[in-house]
Amino acid sequence: MSTDWNDSEPIYRQLKARVVTMLLEGLIAPGGQLPSVRQIAADFQLNPITVSRAYQELVDDGLIEMRRGMGMFVTEGAPQKLLANERERFMQLEWPRTLERMGQLGIDPEQLLSRIKKGGKK
Amino acid sequence: MTAAVSAKRLTKHYGKSKAVDDVSFEIESGRIVGLIGANGSGKTTTLKAILGLIPAEGDLKVLGLDPRAQRDALMQDVSFIADVAILPRWIKVRDLIKFMEGVHPKFDRIKAESYIANTKIHAHMKVKELSKGMVVQLHLALIMAVNAKLLILDEPTLGLDILYRKQFYRSLLEDYFDANKTIIITTHQIEEIEHVVSDLIFINGGRIVLQETMDTMATRFVEVDVSAEHLAAAKALQPIDQRNVLGKTIFLYDGVAKETLASIGQIRIPALSDIFVASLKGAVL
Repeated sequence: MSTDWNDSEPIYRQLKARVVTMLLEGLIAPGGQLPSVRQIAADFQLNPITVSRAYQELVDDGLIEMRRGMGMFVTEGAPQKLLANERERFMQLEWPRTLERMGQLGIDPEQLLSRIKKGGKK
Repeated sequence: MTAAVSAKRLTKHYGKSKAVDDVSFEIESGRIVGLIGANGSGKTTTLKAILGLIPAEGDLKVLGLDPRAQRDALMQDVSFIADVAILPRWIKVRDLIKFMEGVHPKFDRIKAESYIANTKIHAHMKVKELSKGMVVQLHLALIMAVNAKLLILDEPTLGLDILYRKQFYRSLLEDYFDANKTIIITTHQIEEIEHVVSDLIFINGGRIVLQETMDTMATRFVEVDVSAEHLAAAKALQPIDQRNVLGKTIFLYDGVAKETLASIGQIRIPALSDIFVASLKGAVL
């Protein structure tokens, strides 16, 4: 496994993002088990606290759950929640940026929308 | 939670010079602590005091015990590898394992053998037939097979190749460490323990210059790539260190808000080694 971390974000965030990507790609289905904290710590040579922290945030987001004595599992509602989170993120972060860029370039949202609609009918 | 190690006003003189100078710190159990310092900074002296190998002034408790007065009891739960570790040259690996089993009640023979199985060491070999790296491997295998509550590693990977270094940290995290154990580790290879440790202690001239958890390190220290037009603003924010890379100046800050720094350049999480170098220059308080 590659252990290239970038230096723009804390490692636990990057680890969390990796798990989110895995979930989005469907590599682990709802109900599926995640590797143990110990396993990830050993694989990536990370402090177990860092790994636990990434998992804790995923638990807080409702994407994974702890089953006592068994480990971490992907929740049943994870794909929907993930989609909702990512949509929220798009609306909060990416869409304003896109709008700003469109403003800079003088692109009219109405025009764009009608073009997309036409394109979609093809 | 009880502290695995608690030191108050620890001081150690060698003749007139102070190797450790009025040092206080606390290490909670369940942590992996990196003790970082240059040569002669007082690291090994501190470790020796923790192990009860030398007398020192001040108040020191290790796993709730006095390391000098209660050394025998303490040694049941502590294991240690020195940077100058020596194994008798004439002994066979097989006999060494037998010896460990005889002297240490918490030594797990099966574990030791499984670590050794990952190396090129064979049970019938004598220590003198092993290469330098293999001796270190053997030593680590014996130490990690002791189910100790406190593990002290002084430069554990010195002389090991990159492959075995990785393997060592892997087995440390996978097989040895759990929330009831505490590891104190010293090394000059700061990069290799950067993500493994949960806490850091920087020691310089016998004094602690920095003591933080890795969590607070990430919020305290920020590095910024500053282009020429923001140089004056960058300097006004009192960086603790600066270096030039490819026409840009990289400033290191301690305790300046990220939002402020983001306005003068690209912010990054600094490498521990850069923070350490800044601390050696006396910039970190």
